[in-house]
Amino acid sequence: MSIEITMPRLSDTMEQGTIIKWNVAEGDVVSAGDAVADIETDKATMEMQVFDDGTIARILVGQGKIVEVGTVIAILAEEGEDREKVAATVAAQPAVQRSQPAGAQPPPAAEPDEPTVTATATASSTTPAPAPPPQGEAAGDGRVRLSPVARRLAQEHAVDVSTLQGSGPGGRIVKRDVLRAVEAGQETAAAIPPSAKAVVPATPVPIDTTIVQATGVLEEATVVLSNMRQTIARRLVEAKATIPHYQVTVTFNMDPLLQLRRTLNDQLDEQGVRLSVNDFLVRGCALAMHQHPHFNASWRGDHIKIHGIVNIGLAIALPGERGGGLVVATVRNADQKTLRAISLESKHLAGKARTRGLTLEEMADATFTLSNLGMFGVEHFTAIINPPNCAILAVGAALQKPVVRHGEMTVGHEMSATLSLDHRVIDGAMAAQFLATLKQLIENPATLLV
Amino acid sequence: MSTTRQIEFRDALREGMSEEMRRDPCVFLMGEEVAQYQGAYKVSRGMLQEFGPQRVIDTPISESGFAGLGVGAAMMGLRPIIEFMSWSFSLVAADQILNNAPKMLYMSGGQFKVPIVYRGNNGAGGQLGSTHSWSVESMYANVPGLKIAIPFDPYDAKGLIKTAIRDDNPVFFLESERLLSVKGDVPEAEYLIPLGQATVRRTGSDCTIVSFGRPLYFCMEAAETLASDGIDCEVIDGRTIRPLDIETIVRSVCKTNCCVVVDQSWPFASIGAEVAAQVHERCFDDLDHHVVRVHSDDVPPAYAYNLEQEMLPNARKICEAVRTVTYNA
Repeated sequence: MSIEITMPRLSDTMEQGTIIKWNVAEGDVVSAGDAVADIETDKATMEMQVFDDGTIARILVGQGKIVEVGTVIAILAEEGEDREKVAATVAAQPAVQRSQPAGAQPPPAAEPDEPTVTATATASSTTPAPAPPPQGEAAGDGRVRLSPVARRLAQEHAVDVSTLQGSGPGGRIVKRDVLRAVEAGQETAAAIPPSAKAVVPATPVPIDTTIVQATGVLEEATVVLSNMRQTIARRLVEAKATIPHYQVTVTFNMDPLLQLRRTLNDQLDEQGVRLSVNDFLVRGCALAMHQHPHFNASWRGDHIKIHGIVNIGLAIALPGERGGGLVVATVRNADQKTLRAISLESKHLAGKARTRGLTLEEMADATFTLSNLGMFGVEHFTAIINPPNCAILAVGAALQKPVVRHGEMTVGHEMSATLSLDHRVIDGAMAAQFLATLKQLIENPATLLV
Repeated sequence: MSTTRQIEFRDALREGMSEEMRRDPCVFLMGEEVAQYQGAYKVSRGMLQEFGPQRVIDTPISESGFAGLGVGAAMMGLRPIIEFMSWSFSLVAADQILNNAPKMLYMSGGQFKVPIVYRGNNGAGGQLGSTHSWSVESMYANVPGLKIAIPFDPYDAKGLIKTAIRDDNPVFFLESERLLSVKGDVPEAEYLIPLGQATVRRTGSDCTIVSFGRPLYFCMEAAETLASDGIDCEVIDGRTIRPLDIETIVRSVCKTNCCVVVDQSWPFASIGAEVAAQVHERCFDDLDHHVVRVHSDDVPPAYAYNLEQEMLPNARKICEAVRTVTYNA
């Protein structure tokens, strides 16, 4: 008996998904747990695994296509089954995908076409496979009861309804429950991938290469919004419009740190360790939280939540071929980790973000965010706070400059860093004190080793 | 700057009719006691003296006869205003008002329009018993080809009756004898109110209450009570049932996310049911609770005062409904 592979519900607000990439082709043998495709949800790009062993008999939905959750996207022939026969049966059935919104990216060449709808289709054969059970269901009969407007608001504010207690009859989640959650800032980090909250001014990403003509003449074009682009737009407007931002800038003398980094990298070269300036900054910010807990906090409407763990978020720009945009990867318990551990983890997360994409877990729960455009030679910039954080550090490049040291003009390296702050949580003097601590750590980098 | 004065609802109706009769010689008024007796409820006081017996005409107790005579007169180019002492009495003229007047334009292939206004008291007058306490709006609104206006105050009564008289279709004009003595500001200068244009009687953010005619007074009373409990209601006066200004209702519901419809007719297949259905169709993703309707109870009206009051929509029932849809029960 052939097995239908359906568009999975990968988040509880997901209604449709885009097949970014098939990792298998028709005829490939797969085992349960294999990641057969990359799916873009409203929140992130995630791997889709198969739950059975078998052979991919037919791929019904090509790359770049958007389909509803529950739509059959591929057919798996079980062991011992004739793949050709299964594929032939499927071809004779009507297409099961329900919607193909215009504007979806066209599938790259050599991708499977849509199955042909045949006139001999019978009504009984059109029944779509039931959607897999959504995650995060309420207890009891397994249904999350919520009013239509509550459903809409939860989607708009990316509130995970499964974490809410409904105040309506029978536990129905109603408008006020969602609004309270929004107000209390309980837009649970778990439910919102930091990609959604990513707040760093993104480097220009070619979203649609067709914009640029070979002749070099610019042509008008309409760029379809990816789920990530829509989420970034919504969340950034919300962050910029509701958080009273202000910025404080400091300049670090980077000569000692660059010297130490060179020494360490030389000595650790054989062990495959290569520390970046950013790794030192992650460590420095994480350690500074112990003296300045208000920077590791969230505004919650009627109180300030100071977090007991330090998770540093790293803004990562995604390559254009993955649709561009940016995500925030989380280095958990960064204050407890060595520079070496931070370095390895950061590299792993950045690489995975740019190739396979991060899981929700890998993007959740940042308590402070670091955005570094130094590698692009940027001298100074300001960032938008990544809710529910209350601060974000925007870091430029360590640049050679004429500097005054001990009353003498000399050549040294300086780096500018700008904190954006939520004034509801942090006042200016507090920001200055935090930056003083950070400056102390960065300019005396041996302190970061212990 | 036009001046306004305080006049009664019945005076506003008379001013509207008289202005239209002065403006257009084709307009005339006919009904029981409208002339010599100066109107059973004194709405037409003085009109016989001004316009004479040719245009202000007493009829026998024969609704089917004079309602049908009006259809014929309208078909031949006149613009009759036919007064029913009570809409309860229009039931005996059902064939004329439902079968002939609203369908004639269609049945004659557009040859005969029927510009006629049927008007009179509708709704419970107060201890008039089962057969004389009809609210006909739900039953009559089911018929295509007619319009129904149901004024709230003297200003609307005058503005709407003038528009109704000028309309080329049959307009059922539902007044309330409980409101005839209500006073309100009415400008001296001429004005008209279009049919199909609702108005917001009270703005609010927490719940939309939609109603028509007399029950609006109970809605306003309920809104005051609820306001003291922190529930801020928006009260919408539909003004006309056909055409129904659903856009204004939808706009409000999209703002408040919940809706109560108050309709003095019975609940089954009613105006309340129609508005609720349309709100559900148009505002599904904006609703925090399904629409709740407040109607007269599904029983014939009682004669006994206490039973009749209990059967009709009232502020207490409206408050309960609003508390239900706003989850404040």
